[in-house]
Amino acid sequence: MIRDFRSFGSAVMALTATVTAFLLLPILVIFYYAAQDGAYFQLVPRGLSWRWFVSAWENERFVAAAINSLVTGLIVTPLSVALAIPTAFVLVRYDLPLKAAVNVLIMSPLLVPGVVSGIAFLTFFGVINLYSGGVRNILAMLCFTFPFAVRAIVANLQGIGPVWEDAAESLGARRWQVWAWVLLPMLRPGMLASAIFVFVETIDNFSITVFLVSRNSMTIPIEVYNYIKDFDDPSVAVVAVVSVLISTALMFAVERLIGLERFLKNS
Amino acid sequence: MSSQRPNYLFFLPMLVVLGLYGSAFATFVLTSFYRGTSDGRVDTSDAGLQNYSRFFETPAPAATLADTFLISLLLTIITLVLAYPFAYLLTRTQSSGLRRFLLGAVMVTFLSGGITRAYAWMVVLGNSGLINRSLLALGLDRLPLVHNLTGVVIALVHFLLPFCILTLIGTFQTLPRNLEEASTSLGASRLRTFWTVVVPLTLRGAVGAGVLTLSVAVSAFLFPLLLGGGRVRMMSNHIYELIFINFDIPYAAATALIFLVVTVVAISALTVALGRVVDDRRWGAAR
Repeated sequence: MIRDFRSFGSAVMALTATVTAFLLLPILVIFYYAAQDGAYFQLVPRGLSWRWFVSAWENERFVAAAINSLVTGLIVTPLSVALAIPTAFVLVRYDLPLKAAVNVLIMSPLLVPGVVSGIAFLTFFGVINLYSGGVRNILAMLCFTFPFAVRAIVANLQGIGPVWEDAAESLGARRWQVWAWVLLPMLRPGMLASAIFVFVETIDNFSITVFLVSRNSMTIPIEVYNYIKDFDDPSVAVVAVVSVLISTALMFAVERLIGLERFLKNS
Repeated sequence: MSSQRPNYLFFLPMLVVLGLYGSAFATFVLTSFYRGTSDGRVDTSDAGLQNYSRFFETPAPAATLADTFLISLLLTIITLVLAYPFAYLLTRTQSSGLRRFLLGAVMVTFLSGGITRAYAWMVVLGNSGLINRSLLALGLDRLPLVHNLTGVVIALVHFLLPFCILTLIGTFQTLPRNLEEASTSLGASRLRTFWTVVVPLTLRGAVGAGVLTLSVAVSAFLFPLLLGGGRVRMMSNHIYELIFINFDIPYAAATALIFLVVTVVAISALTVALGRVVDDRRWGAAR
Protein backbone atom coordinates (compact mmCIF):
# COMPACT_ATOMS: atom_id res chain seq x y z
CA MET A 1 0.00 0.00 0.00
CA ILE A 2 2.77 2.44 0.88
CA ARG A 3 4.70 1.68 -2.27
CA ASP A 4 1.44 2.12 -4.18
CA PHE A 5 0.99 5.53 -2.70
CA ARG A 6 4.32 6.65 -4.08
CA SER A 7 3.79 5.16 -7.52
CA PHE A 8 0.33 6.55 -8.16
CA GLY A 9 0.43 9.99 -6.67
CA SER A 10 -1.97 11.43 -4.20
CA ALA A 11 -4.45 12.69 -6.83
CA VAL A 12 -5.21 9.24 -8.22
CA MET A 13 -5.36 7.74 -4.73
CA ALA A 14 -7.69 10.46 -3.42
CA LEU A 15 -10.00 10.22 -6.42
CA THR A 16 -10.16 6.43 -6.14
CA ALA A 17 -10.95 6.64 -2.43
CA THR A 18 -13.72 9.16 -3.15
CA VAL A 19 -15.20 7.00 -5.92
CA THR A 20 -15.09 3.92 -3.65
CA ALA A 21 -16.90 5.81 -0.90
CA PHE A 22 -19.41 7.10 -3.45
CA LEU A 23 -20.03 3.55 -4.75
CA LEU A 24 -20.55 2.06 -1.29
CA LEU A 25 -22.40 4.96 0.42
CA PRO A 26 -25.96 4.17 -0.76
CA ILE A 27 -25.51 0.47 0.06
CA LEU A 28 -24.32 1.22 3.61
CA VAL A 29 -27.11 3.74 4.15
CA ILE A 30 -29.74 1.24 3.09
CA PHE A 31 -28.46 -1.33 5.64
CA TYR A 32 -28.57 1.31 8.36
CA TYR A 33 -32.07 2.48 7.35
CA ALA A 34 -33.46 -1.06 7.37
CA ALA A 35 -32.07 -1.84 10.82
CA GLN A 36 -33.20 1.27 12.75
CA ASP A 37 -36.61 1.21 14.34
CA GLY A 38 -38.04 4.60 13.28
CA ALA A 39 -40.52 5.02 10.43
CA TYR A 40 -38.37 7.71 8.83
CA PHE A 41 -34.66 8.35 8.41
CA GLN A 42 -32.88 9.34 11.65
CA LEU A 43 -29.27 10.42 11.93
CA VAL A 44 -29.02 8.86 15.37
CA PRO A 45 -31.48 5.99 15.74
CA ARG A 46 -33.57 5.58 18.86
CA GLY A 47 -32.78 1.93 18.61
CA LEU A 48 -32.19 -0.98 16.29
CA SER A 49 -34.88 -3.51 15.54
CA TRP A 50 -36.06 -6.21 13.20
CA ARG A 51 -39.50 -4.65 12.89
CA TRP A 52 -39.08 -3.56 9.24
CA PHE A 53 -37.82 -7.03 8.34
CA VAL A 54 -40.98 -8.45 9.89
CA SER A 55 -43.13 -5.87 8.15
CA ALA A 56 -41.54 -6.65 4.74
CA TRP A 57 -41.98 -10.39 5.35
CA GLU A 58 -45.64 -9.88 6.27
CA ASN A 59 -46.26 -7.76 3.17
CA GLU A 60 -48.03 -10.24 0.90
CA ARG A 61 -47.32 -8.18 -2.21
CA PHE A 62 -43.55 -8.29 -1.60
CA VAL A 63 -43.59 -12.02 -0.93
CA ALA A 64 -45.67 -12.74 -4.03
CA ALA A 65 -43.40 -10.51 -6.13
CA ALA A 66 -40.28 -12.18 -4.75
CA ILE A 67 -41.70 -15.58 -5.72
CA ASN A 68 -42.57 -14.30 -9.21
CA SER A 69 -39.06 -12.87 -9.66
CA LEU A 70 -37.43 -16.05 -8.46
CA VAL A 71 -39.56 -18.32 -10.66
CA THR A 72 -38.95 -16.11 -13.70
CA GLY A 73 -35.20 -16.08 -13.04
CA LEU A 74 -35.07 -19.83 -12.54
CA ILE A 75 -36.92 -20.49 -15.80
CA VAL A 76 -35.12 -17.91 -17.95
CA THR A 77 -31.56 -18.65 -16.75
CA PRO A 78 -31.19 -22.30 -17.81
CA LEU A 79 -33.14 -21.68 -21.03
CA SER A 80 -31.04 -18.70 -22.02
CA VAL A 81 -27.73 -20.43 -21.24
CA ALA A 82 -28.80 -23.65 -23.01
CA LEU A 83 -29.78 -21.73 -26.15
CA ALA A 84 -26.57 -19.67 -25.99
CA ILE A 85 -24.17 -22.65 -26.03
CA PRO A 86 -24.87 -23.87 -29.59
CA THR A 87 -25.15 -20.26 -30.78
CA ALA A 88 -21.72 -19.39 -29.36
CA PHE A 89 -20.32 -22.53 -30.99
CA VAL A 90 -21.70 -21.47 -34.37
CA LEU A 91 -20.26 -17.95 -33.95
CA VAL A 92 -16.80 -19.11 -32.90
CA ARG A 93 -16.18 -22.35 -34.79
CA TYR A 94 -18.14 -22.19 -38.06
CA ASP A 95 -17.26 -20.32 -41.21
CA LEU A 96 -20.33 -18.21 -41.77
CA PRO A 97 -21.04 -15.72 -44.50
CA LEU A 98 -21.88 -12.33 -42.93
CA LYS A 99 -20.71 -13.45 -39.52
CA ALA A 100 -20.24 -9.86 -38.34
CA ALA A 101 -23.83 -9.03 -39.32
CA VAL A 102 -25.18 -12.12 -37.52
CA ASN A 103 -23.23 -11.07 -34.44
CA VAL A 104 -24.67 -7.54 -34.52
CA LEU A 105 -28.16 -9.02 -34.90
CA ILE A 106 -27.69 -11.29 -31.88
CA MET A 107 -26.33 -8.43 -29.77
CA SER A 108 -29.01 -5.96 -30.92
CA PRO A 109 -31.31 -6.32 -27.85
CA LEU A 110 -28.44 -4.85 -25.79
CA LEU A 111 -28.27 -1.72 -27.92
CA VAL A 112 -32.00 -1.05 -28.05
CA PRO A 113 -33.24 1.08 -25.11
CA GLY A 114 -35.33 -1.00 -22.70
CA VAL A 115 -38.46 1.06 -23.15
CA VAL A 116 -38.33 0.51 -26.93
CA SER A 117 -38.03 -3.28 -26.49
CA GLY A 118 -40.83 -3.07 -23.91
CA ILE A 119 -43.21 -1.45 -26.39
CA ALA A 120 -42.16 -3.90 -29.10
CA PHE A 121 -43.09 -6.88 -26.91
CA LEU A 122 -46.27 -5.14 -25.73
CA THR A 123 -47.55 -4.67 -29.29
CA PHE A 124 -46.50 -8.17 -30.38
CA PHE A 125 -48.08 -10.01 -27.43
CA GLY A 126 -51.24 -7.94 -27.98
CA VAL A 127 -51.44 -9.08 -31.62
CA ILE A 128 -50.93 -12.77 -30.79
CA ASN A 129 -53.37 -12.53 -27.84
CA LEU A 130 -50.88 -13.60 -25.20
CA TYR A 131 -52.14 -12.06 -21.99
CA SER A 132 -50.36 -13.96 -19.23
CA GLY A 133 -48.01 -11.39 -17.71
CA GLY A 134 -45.67 -14.08 -16.38
CA VAL A 135 -45.27 -15.81 -19.77
CA ARG A 136 -44.88 -12.46 -21.55
CA ASN A 137 -42.10 -11.47 -19.19
CA ILE A 138 -40.33 -14.84 -19.47
CA LEU A 139 -40.29 -14.66 -23.29
CA ALA A 140 -39.13 -11.04 -23.29
CA MET A 141 -36.39 -11.72 -20.72
CA LEU A 142 -35.22 -14.71 -22.76
CA CYS A 143 -34.67 -12.44 -25.80
CA PHE A 144 -33.16 -9.66 -23.71
CA THR A 145 -30.69 -11.84 -21.78
CA PHE A 146 -29.68 -14.07 -24.71
CA PRO A 147 -26.89 -11.69 -25.86
CA PHE A 148 -25.35 -11.62 -22.35
CA ALA A 149 -25.33 -15.40 -22.27
CA VAL A 150 -23.86 -15.72 -25.78
CA ARG A 151 -21.15 -13.14 -25.10
CA ALA A 152 -19.87 -14.89 -21.99
CA ILE A 153 -19.74 -18.31 -23.66
CA VAL A 154 -18.14 -16.91 -26.84
CA ALA A 155 -15.33 -15.42 -24.72
CA ASN A 156 -14.83 -18.77 -23.00
CA LEU A 157 -14.89 -20.76 -26.25
CA GLN A 158 -12.38 -18.42 -27.93
CA GLY A 159 -10.06 -18.96 -25.00
CA ILE A 160 -10.24 -22.75 -25.34
CA GLY A 161 -9.41 -23.05 -29.03
CA PRO A 162 -10.29 -26.08 -31.18
CA VAL A 163 -7.19 -28.15 -30.33
CA TRP A 164 -8.85 -30.05 -27.46
CA GLU A 165 -11.81 -31.07 -29.61
CA ASP A 166 -9.45 -32.13 -32.40
CA ALA A 167 -7.37 -34.15 -29.97
CA ALA A 168 -10.43 -35.90 -28.56
CA GLU A 169 -11.73 -36.66 -32.05
CA SER A 170 -8.42 -37.99 -33.29
CA LEU A 171 -8.39 -40.30 -30.27
CA GLY A 172 -11.70 -41.69 -31.45
CA ALA A 173 -14.30 -39.73 -29.47
CA ARG A 174 -17.66 -39.29 -31.12
CA ARG A 175 -19.21 -35.83 -31.44
CA TRP A 176 -21.45 -36.24 -28.38
CA GLN A 177 -18.52 -37.55 -26.35
CA VAL A 178 -16.47 -34.48 -27.29
CA TRP A 179 -19.31 -32.32 -26.00
CA ALA A 180 -19.97 -34.25 -22.83
CA TRP A 181 -16.37 -34.86 -21.75
CA VAL A 182 -14.34 -32.06 -23.31
CA LEU A 183 -16.32 -29.01 -24.33
CA LEU A 184 -18.99 -28.68 -21.64
CA PRO A 185 -16.57 -29.21 -18.73
CA MET A 186 -14.20 -26.61 -20.21
CA LEU A 187 -17.11 -24.19 -20.72
CA ARG A 188 -18.06 -24.20 -17.03
CA PRO A 189 -16.63 -20.74 -16.22
CA GLY A 190 -18.42 -19.21 -19.20
CA MET A 191 -21.68 -20.96 -18.32
CA LEU A 192 -21.42 -19.75 -14.73
CA ALA A 193 -20.67 -16.16 -15.81
CA SER A 194 -23.54 -16.18 -18.28
CA ALA A 195 -25.97 -17.74 -15.77
CA ILE A 196 -25.19 -15.05 -13.21
CA PHE A 197 -25.60 -12.22 -15.71
CA VAL A 198 -28.84 -13.67 -17.07
CA PHE A 199 -30.29 -14.22 -13.60
CA VAL A 200 -29.37 -10.77 -12.31
CA GLU A 201 -30.57 -8.99 -15.46
CA THR A 202 -33.84 -10.94 -15.41
CA ILE A 203 -34.82 -10.31 -11.80
CA ASP A 204 -33.62 -6.69 -11.90
CA ASN A 205 -35.28 -5.63 -15.15
CA PHE A 206 -37.63 -2.70 -14.90
CA SER A 207 -37.88 -0.95 -18.26
CA ILE A 208 -39.12 -3.96 -20.28
CA THR A 209 -40.95 -5.86 -17.53
CA VAL A 210 -43.07 -2.84 -16.50
CA PHE A 211 -44.87 -2.99 -19.87
CA LEU A 212 -45.66 -6.70 -19.68
CA VAL A 213 -46.61 -7.91 -16.20
CA SER A 214 -50.12 -7.79 -14.81
CA ARG A 215 -51.50 -7.51 -11.27
CA ASN A 216 -50.65 -11.05 -10.23
CA SER A 217 -47.33 -11.39 -12.05
CA MET A 218 -45.55 -8.33 -10.61
CA THR A 219 -41.82 -8.80 -10.06
CA ILE A 220 -39.83 -7.20 -7.23
CA PRO A 221 -38.66 -4.04 -9.06
CA ILE A 222 -42.19 -3.25 -10.29
CA GLU A 223 -43.79 -3.97 -6.90
CA VAL A 224 -41.17 -1.87 -5.09
CA TYR A 225 -41.82 1.00 -7.50
CA ASN A 226 -45.58 0.75 -6.94
CA TYR A 227 -45.04 0.67 -3.19
CA ILE A 228 -42.80 3.73 -2.97
CA LYS A 229 -45.26 5.74 -5.05
CA ASP A 230 -47.75 5.41 -2.17
CA PHE A 231 -45.78 4.70 1.02
CA ASP A 232 -42.56 5.83 2.62
CA ASP A 233 -41.24 3.45 5.26
CA PRO A 234 -38.11 1.32 5.69
CA SER A 235 -39.73 -1.97 4.62
CA VAL A 236 -38.55 -1.21 1.07
CA ALA A 237 -35.04 -0.80 2.49
CA VAL A 238 -35.34 -4.39 3.72
CA VAL A 239 -36.11 -5.60 0.19
CA ALA A 240 -33.08 -3.62 -1.01
CA VAL A 241 -30.89 -5.15 1.72
CA VAL A 242 -31.97 -8.64 0.69
CA SER A 243 -31.10 -7.98 -2.96
CA VAL A 244 -27.69 -6.56 -2.00
CA LEU A 245 -27.07 -9.66 0.14
CA ILE A 246 -28.01 -11.91 -2.77
CA SER A 247 -25.66 -10.07 -5.12
CA THR A 248 -22.85 -10.18 -2.56
CA ALA A 249 -23.38 -13.90 -2.12
CA LEU A 250 -23.26 -14.39 -5.90
CA MET A 251 -20.03 -12.43 -6.01
CA PHE A 252 -18.38 -14.52 -3.32
CA ALA A 253 -19.57 -17.67 -5.06
CA VAL A 254 -17.91 -16.47 -8.27
CA GLU A 255 -14.71 -15.59 -6.40
CA ARG A 256 -14.59 -19.07 -4.86
CA LEU A 257 -15.51 -20.97 -8.03
CA ILE A 258 -13.58 -19.23 -10.80
CA GLY A 259 -12.12 -15.99 -9.38
CA LEU A 260 -13.48 -12.53 -10.05
CA GLU A 261 -10.83 -11.55 -12.56
CA ARG A 262 -11.39 -14.63 -14.67
CA PHE A 263 -15.13 -14.00 -14.40
CA LEU A 264 -14.62 -10.52 -15.86
CA LYS A 265 -12.60 -11.89 -18.76
CA ASN A 266 -15.48 -14.22 -19.53
CA SER A 267 -18.13 -11.53 -19.66
CA MET B 1 -9.96 -25.61 -37.64
CA SER B 2 -12.92 -23.31 -37.90
CA SER B 3 -14.43 -25.00 -40.94
CA GLN B 4 -15.95 -28.14 -39.55
CA ARG B 5 -18.96 -29.79 -41.09
CA PRO B 6 -21.77 -27.63 -39.75
CA ASN B 7 -24.46 -29.21 -37.65
CA TYR B 8 -27.54 -27.31 -38.78
CA LEU B 9 -29.42 -28.08 -35.57
CA PHE B 10 -27.01 -25.68 -33.87
CA PHE B 11 -28.60 -22.79 -35.76
CA LEU B 12 -32.05 -23.50 -34.32
CA PRO B 13 -31.70 -21.70 -30.94
CA MET B 14 -30.58 -18.42 -32.43
CA LEU B 15 -33.31 -18.61 -35.07
CA VAL B 16 -35.92 -19.10 -32.34
CA VAL B 17 -34.70 -16.17 -30.23
CA LEU B 18 -34.07 -13.84 -33.17
CA GLY B 19 -37.42 -14.87 -34.68
CA LEU B 20 -39.24 -13.94 -31.49
CA TYR B 21 -37.42 -10.63 -31.08
CA GLY B 22 -37.73 -9.89 -34.79
CA SER B 23 -41.49 -10.54 -34.77
CA ALA B 24 -41.90 -8.24 -31.79
CA PHE B 25 -39.90 -5.58 -33.57
CA ALA B 26 -41.82 -5.93 -36.84
CA THR B 27 -45.17 -5.63 -35.03
CA PHE B 28 -43.88 -2.55 -33.25
CA VAL B 29 -42.80 -0.85 -36.48
CA LEU B 30 -46.12 -1.71 -38.16
CA THR B 31 -48.10 -0.41 -35.19
CA SER B 32 -46.40 2.97 -35.47
CA PHE B 33 -48.19 3.57 -38.82
CA TYR B 34 -51.71 2.98 -37.48
CA ARG B 35 -53.99 5.23 -35.50
CA GLY B 36 -54.63 4.92 -31.78
CA THR B 37 -58.28 4.92 -30.73
CA SER B 38 -59.54 6.87 -27.73
CA ASP B 39 -60.02 3.65 -25.71
CA GLY B 40 -56.33 2.71 -26.02
CA ARG B 41 -56.61 0.27 -28.89
CA VAL B 42 -55.11 0.20 -32.36
CA ASP B 43 -57.24 1.08 -35.38
CA THR B 44 -55.77 -0.89 -38.28
CA SER B 45 -58.16 0.49 -40.91
CA ASP B 46 -56.00 3.35 -42.06
CA ALA B 47 -52.25 3.46 -42.13
CA GLY B 48 -50.08 6.50 -42.67
CA LEU B 49 -47.38 8.73 -41.34
CA GLN B 50 -49.67 10.75 -39.06
CA ASN B 51 -47.86 9.68 -35.87
CA TYR B 52 -44.53 10.77 -37.29
CA SER B 53 -45.78 14.19 -38.38
CA ARG B 54 -47.36 14.58 -34.95
CA PHE B 55 -43.95 14.18 -33.32
CA PHE B 56 -42.75 17.32 -35.08
CA GLU B 57 -45.97 19.37 -34.73
CA THR B 58 -44.99 20.76 -31.34
CA PRO B 59 -41.41 21.43 -30.28
CA ALA B 60 -41.78 19.55 -26.95
CA PRO B 61 -40.98 15.95 -28.04
CA ALA B 62 -37.88 16.99 -30.00
CA ALA B 63 -36.77 19.15 -27.06
CA THR B 64 -37.06 16.14 -24.72
CA LEU B 65 -34.95 14.16 -27.20
CA ALA B 66 -32.30 16.89 -27.25
CA ASP B 67 -32.35 17.14 -23.42
CA THR B 68 -31.86 13.38 -23.21
CA PHE B 69 -28.66 13.61 -25.23
CA LEU B 70 -27.35 16.66 -23.38
CA ILE B 71 -27.93 15.03 -19.97
CA SER B 72 -26.35 11.80 -21.23
CA LEU B 73 -23.29 13.65 -22.53
CA LEU B 74 -22.84 15.36 -19.16
CA LEU B 75 -23.26 12.01 -17.37
CA THR B 76 -20.72 10.35 -19.67
CA ILE B 77 -18.07 13.02 -19.07
CA ILE B 78 -18.47 12.92 -15.27
CA THR B 79 -18.50 9.11 -15.22
CA LEU B 80 -15.43 8.81 -17.42
CA VAL B 81 -13.42 11.29 -15.32
CA LEU B 82 -14.24 9.34 -12.13
CA ALA B 83 -13.88 5.87 -13.63
CA TYR B 84 -10.55 6.36 -15.41
CA PRO B 85 -8.20 6.83 -12.42
CA PHE B 86 -10.17 4.23 -10.43
CA ALA B 87 -9.76 1.59 -13.15
CA TYR B 88 -6.10 2.56 -13.61
CA LEU B 89 -5.29 2.11 -9.92
CA LEU B 90 -7.32 -1.10 -9.78
CA THR B 91 -5.35 -2.75 -12.60
CA ARG B 92 -1.92 -1.39 -11.60
CA THR B 93 -1.87 -1.76 -7.82
CA GLN B 94 0.72 -4.17 -6.39
CA SER B 95 -1.57 -5.09 -3.53
CA SER B 96 -3.91 -7.92 -4.43
CA GLY B 97 -6.00 -7.15 -1.33
CA LEU B 98 -6.65 -3.61 -2.52
CA ARG B 99 -7.42 -4.83 -6.03
CA ARG B 100 -9.95 -7.35 -4.76
CA PHE B 101 -11.56 -4.79 -2.48
CA LEU B 102 -11.98 -2.26 -5.31
CA LEU B 103 -13.23 -4.93 -7.71
CA GLY B 104 -15.62 -6.17 -5.01
CA ALA B 105 -16.99 -2.66 -4.48
CA VAL B 106 -17.65 -2.32 -8.22
CA MET B 107 -19.20 -5.78 -8.55
CA VAL B 108 -21.51 -5.46 -5.53
CA THR B 109 -22.71 -2.12 -6.87
CA PHE B 110 -23.12 -3.56 -10.35
CA LEU B 111 -25.06 -6.63 -9.23
CA SER B 112 -27.21 -4.86 -6.63
CA GLY B 113 -29.85 -3.87 -9.12
CA GLY B 114 -31.31 -0.65 -10.40
CA ILE B 115 -34.35 -0.32 -8.14
CA THR B 116 -32.23 -0.93 -5.03
CA ARG B 117 -29.79 1.80 -5.93
CA ALA B 118 -32.42 4.29 -7.08
CA TYR B 119 -34.27 3.82 -3.80
CA ALA B 120 -31.05 4.06 -1.78
CA TRP B 121 -30.28 7.40 -3.42
CA MET B 122 -33.76 8.64 -2.50
CA VAL B 123 -32.92 7.83 1.13
CA VAL B 124 -29.57 9.62 0.86
CA LEU B 125 -30.70 12.67 -1.10
CA GLY B 126 -34.36 13.04 -0.08
CA ASN B 127 -35.75 16.09 1.73
CA SER B 128 -35.49 14.24 5.05
CA GLY B 129 -32.70 11.94 3.95
CA LEU B 130 -29.15 11.48 5.15
CA ILE B 131 -27.65 14.63 3.64
CA ASN B 132 -30.47 17.00 4.52
CA ARG B 133 -30.78 15.66 8.09
CA SER B 134 -27.04 16.15 8.48
CA LEU B 135 -27.27 19.71 7.16
CA LEU B 136 -30.13 20.50 9.57
CA ALA B 137 -28.18 18.99 12.46
CA LEU B 138 -25.30 21.31 11.58
CA GLY B 139 -27.66 24.26 11.60
CA LEU B 140 -27.60 24.70 7.83
CA ASP B 141 -30.45 24.89 5.31
CA ARG B 142 -31.75 21.93 3.36
CA LEU B 143 -30.52 21.47 -0.19
CA PRO B 144 -32.99 20.47 -2.90
CA LEU B 145 -31.34 17.24 -4.09
CA VAL B 146 -34.29 15.23 -5.41
CA HIS B 147 -36.97 15.99 -7.99
CA ASN B 148 -34.40 17.93 -9.94
CA LEU B 149 -31.47 17.36 -12.29
CA THR B 150 -28.91 17.23 -9.45
CA GLY B 151 -30.41 14.11 -7.92
CA VAL B 152 -30.86 12.39 -11.28
CA VAL B 153 -27.24 13.11 -12.26
CA ILE B 154 -25.77 11.93 -8.93
CA ALA B 155 -27.73 8.68 -8.94
CA LEU B 156 -27.17 8.00 -12.65
CA VAL B 157 -23.40 8.54 -12.37
CA HIS B 158 -23.50 5.90 -9.63
CA PHE B 159 -25.47 3.60 -11.92
CA LEU B 160 -23.12 4.14 -14.89
CA LEU B 161 -19.78 3.89 -13.05
CA PRO B 162 -19.58 0.05 -12.95
CA PHE B 163 -20.23 -0.24 -16.72
CA CYS B 164 -17.51 2.30 -17.42
CA ILE B 165 -15.01 0.93 -14.88
CA LEU B 166 -15.38 -2.69 -16.00
CA THR B 167 -14.80 -1.69 -19.64
CA LEU B 168 -11.75 0.42 -18.74
CA ILE B 169 -10.22 -2.43 -16.70
CA GLY B 170 -10.10 -4.43 -19.94
CA THR B 171 -8.26 -1.57 -21.64
CA PHE B 172 -5.64 -1.15 -18.90
CA GLN B 173 -5.05 -4.91 -18.76
CA THR B 174 -3.96 -4.90 -22.41
CA LEU B 175 -1.51 -2.01 -21.88
CA PRO B 176 1.92 -3.54 -21.18
CA ARG B 177 3.18 -2.40 -17.81
CA ASN B 178 6.79 -2.11 -18.97
CA LEU B 179 5.95 0.93 -21.12
CA GLU B 180 5.28 2.89 -17.93
CA GLU B 181 8.40 1.43 -16.31
CA ALA B 182 10.49 2.42 -19.34
CA SER B 183 9.12 5.93 -19.17
CA THR B 184 9.87 6.43 -15.48
CA SER B 185 13.28 4.79 -15.70
CA LEU B 186 14.17 7.23 -18.47
CA GLY B 187 13.47 10.00 -16.02
CA ALA B 188 9.87 11.07 -16.74
CA SER B 189 7.86 12.04 -13.70
CA ARG B 190 4.78 10.07 -12.63
CA LEU B 191 2.50 12.77 -13.93
CA ARG B 192 4.36 13.07 -17.22
CA THR B 193 4.26 9.28 -17.71
CA PHE B 194 0.53 9.32 -17.06
CA TRP B 195 -0.19 12.07 -19.57
CA THR B 196 2.28 11.14 -22.31
CA VAL B 197 2.26 7.33 -22.11
CA VAL B 198 -0.81 5.98 -20.34
CA VAL B 199 -3.47 8.40 -21.56
CA PRO B 200 -2.54 8.42 -25.29
CA LEU B 201 -2.25 4.63 -25.41
CA THR B 202 -5.59 4.05 -23.70
CA LEU B 203 -7.50 6.82 -25.51
CA ARG B 204 -9.18 4.34 -27.85
CA GLY B 205 -10.34 2.22 -24.91
CA ALA B 206 -11.55 5.31 -23.09
CA VAL B 207 -13.55 6.34 -26.15
CA GLY B 208 -15.08 2.86 -26.24
CA ALA B 209 -15.98 3.03 -22.56
CA GLY B 210 -17.44 6.51 -23.09
CA VAL B 211 -19.60 5.39 -25.99
CA LEU B 212 -20.89 2.42 -23.97
CA THR B 213 -21.64 4.72 -21.04
CA LEU B 214 -23.43 7.15 -23.32
CA SER B 215 -25.60 4.44 -24.84
CA VAL B 216 -26.62 3.17 -21.39
CA ALA B 217 -27.25 6.75 -20.21
CA VAL B 218 -29.48 7.62 -23.17
CA SER B 219 -31.85 4.76 -22.33
CA ALA B 220 -32.12 5.73 -18.64
CA PHE B 221 -35.66 5.27 -17.39
CA LEU B 222 -35.98 4.22 -13.76
CA PHE B 223 -33.61 6.80 -12.25
CA PRO B 224 -35.22 9.88 -13.84
CA LEU B 225 -38.62 8.36 -12.98
CA LEU B 226 -37.83 8.03 -9.26
CA LEU B 227 -35.34 10.85 -8.60
CA GLY B 228 -36.66 13.30 -11.18
CA GLY B 229 -40.16 13.29 -9.68
CA GLY B 230 -41.73 14.14 -13.05
CA ARG B 231 -39.60 17.26 -13.44
CA VAL B 232 -36.64 15.63 -15.18
CA ARG B 233 -37.96 13.66 -18.09
CA MET B 234 -35.76 11.76 -20.45
CA MET B 235 -37.00 10.14 -23.64
CA SER B 236 -37.87 6.82 -22.01
CA ASN B 237 -40.04 8.59 -19.43
CA HIS B 238 -41.82 10.52 -22.18
CA ILE B 239 -42.58 7.30 -24.08
CA TYR B 240 -43.77 5.55 -20.89
CA GLU B 241 -46.21 8.40 -20.24
CA LEU B 242 -47.59 8.16 -23.78
CA ILE B 243 -48.56 4.55 -23.01
CA PHE B 244 -49.61 4.64 -19.36
CA ILE B 245 -51.17 8.12 -19.23
CA ASN B 246 -52.35 8.76 -22.79
CA PHE B 247 -52.89 5.08 -23.78
CA ASP B 248 -51.78 5.94 -27.30
CA ILE B 249 -49.74 2.89 -28.31
CA PRO B 250 -49.23 3.75 -32.01
CA TYR B 251 -47.99 7.27 -31.26
CA ALA B 252 -45.75 5.88 -28.49
CA ALA B 253 -44.40 3.33 -30.99
CA ALA B 254 -43.62 6.05 -33.55
CA THR B 255 -41.91 8.16 -30.88
CA ALA B 256 -39.92 5.15 -29.71
CA LEU B 257 -38.83 4.38 -33.28
CA ILE B 258 -37.67 7.97 -33.84
CA PHE B 259 -35.80 7.76 -30.53
CA LEU B 260 -34.17 4.47 -31.53
CA VAL B 261 -33.09 5.68 -34.98
CA VAL B 262 -31.67 8.95 -33.63
CA THR B 263 -29.81 7.06 -30.88
CA VAL B 264 -28.28 4.50 -33.24
CA VAL B 265 -27.26 7.15 -35.79
CA ALA B 266 -25.86 9.54 -33.16
CA ILE B 267 -23.86 6.86 -31.37
CA SER B 268 -22.47 5.34 -34.58
CA ALA B 269 -21.51 8.81 -35.87
CA LEU B 270 -19.85 9.65 -32.56
CA THR B 271 -17.93 6.36 -32.55
CA VAL B 272 -16.60 6.99 -36.07
CA ALA B 273 -15.78 10.65 -35.41
CA LEU B 274 -14.01 10.04 -32.10
CA GLY B 275 -12.19 7.06 -33.60
CA ARG B 276 -10.74 9.40 -36.27
CA VAL B 277 -9.67 11.98 -33.70
CA VAL B 278 -7.99 9.28 -31.62
CA ASP B 279 -6.14 7.86 -34.63
CA ASP B 280 -4.88 11.32 -35.60
CA ARG B 281 -3.65 11.93 -32.07
CA ARG B 282 -1.81 8.63 -31.99
CA TRP B 283 -0.20 9.21 -35.34
CA GLY B 284 0.94 12.62 -34.14
CA ALA B 285 2.31 11.13 -30.97
CA ALA B 286 4.18 8.42 -32.87
CA ARG B 287 5.92 11.04 -34.98
